[in-house]
Amino acid sequence: MSKVAIVRDPALTGKRRQPVLAEDRLLHYPEFRQFFARTFDLDRIGLAQPGYVSAPSGMVYVLMFVGRSGEPFPAGLEVHVMADALEPVDEQMVDRDLWAILGWMIAGVGPPWSVADLAETGRLYRLPVAQ
Amino acid sequence: MTPTSIQQLQDLPAQIRAQWPHRPRFASVNGWRMHYVDEGHGSPVVLLHGNPTWGFLWRETMKPLLAAGHRVIVPDQVGFGLSEKPTREGAHSLDGHTANLTALMRQLDLQRITLVCHDWGGPTGLSFALANPHRVRALVIMSTWAWPLPPAEFHTRVFPWRLIHAPLLGPYLLGRHGVLVGRGIYLSVVDRERFRATAQAAYEAVLPDPATRLLTWVWPRWIPLDGTARAFDRFAWLEQGMSRSAWPTLLIWGREDEVFDPPTFAGRFQRMLPHAEGPHLVTGRHFLQEDSGAEIGALVRDFLSRLDARGA
Repeated sequence: MSKVAIVRDPALTGKRRQPVLAEDRLLHYPEFRQFFARTFDLDRIGLAQPGYVSAPSGMVYVLMFVGRSGEPFPAGLEVHVMADALEPVDEQMVDRDLWAILGWMIAGVGPPWSVADLAETGRLYRLPVAQ
Repeated sequence: MTPTSIQQLQDLPAQIRAQWPHRPRFASVNGWRMHYVDEGHGSPVVLLHGNPTWGFLWRETMKPLLAAGHRVIVPDQVGFGLSEKPTREGAHSLDGHTANLTALMRQLDLQRITLVCHDWGGPTGLSFALANPHRVRALVIMSTWAWPLPPAEFHTRVFPWRLIHAPLLGPYLLGRHGVLVGRGIYLSVVDRERFRATAQAAYEAVLPDPATRLLTWVWPRWIPLDGTARAFDRFAWLEQGMSRSAWPTLLIWGREDEVFDPPTFAGRFQRMLPHAEGPHLVTGRHFLQEDSGAEIGALVRDFLSRLDARGA
């Protein structure tokens, strides 16, 4: 669960954006929304640009922040993998990358949430990525 | 029947289809397509499932009731089973699910209903009962709750409960990996090997893709954890209403239920409803119907016989 880093200006030529995870209710636990707002300076830039992170595979993922009237921004979040334009994605690789991104998120959100509990949850439910 | 539902029925393994021979019926309720089973004649018994199951959960419970001459109605909550599965979180609310059930009960014009509630079938079914008291004859309550705080201590823990439905983690763990419908039910029955061999495929087959599993992580988000929770007021209303209710009530609980443990939860219902019978403890964890379905059906049948005998 490491090797996730924010990327400022990734090379996007020849890539396509493919959604791999979507969250309608980022503010269910407010500290998750606050983590993304803090990490990507969203209170200042709003919807102006998405966030980009690189994952352990080397692939870049785009975080598309979603606004909803009457709710704190961002209300939702879509995670897209930037895949080679005409190539199918490697599903297992995406799954490992998402697990790493989730661990990066939990570490950033902080207590009472912990990466150790996340890993234990993965083992309890026998996720291949957590074994 | 829609093509999606035909496909889902056909995709069920033959062994599962043999356990679920009922004719599928569909109704448009509150803007959604709801699947339900309606078998038999006589006084109506409505069996309400919760998260992440569907009518199949009641397959053994139905048999003694049908044999005793009851009409048995088993809806699949919208988002589960063979019902429509909305793909936006905003489609699912506690009040909305109660409205879905209310629409079906009114379309079928059911009167003198015996409402059998499990898990989220509790808050939705009991809310229906309080809002439509003239349609209800009796209640059967199992492994659920009807008050704002606290739910179970289990529900307050970060590991594993809050983690599995937290932002992004819910869509990943319960959606992408289906851990509640798979290993989650498995861990919450007593005879796990029998469950794996005879039933697990039935639950997994009707929620085949991440998007179809939306309600498995949305329902947990409706459990109030503090006074600011969006469902807090509804549960407070539910507690007040139930405390004043006088319907004949039967409590059935799983002896091994660690999530809604009998002393805490059945005990609280006993204090809330001092006229209630029970709790009758049967072999079972949270999904007690998987271990004791027929015994539960017999308990409900006998309870209704006693009501008949005294003209209730």
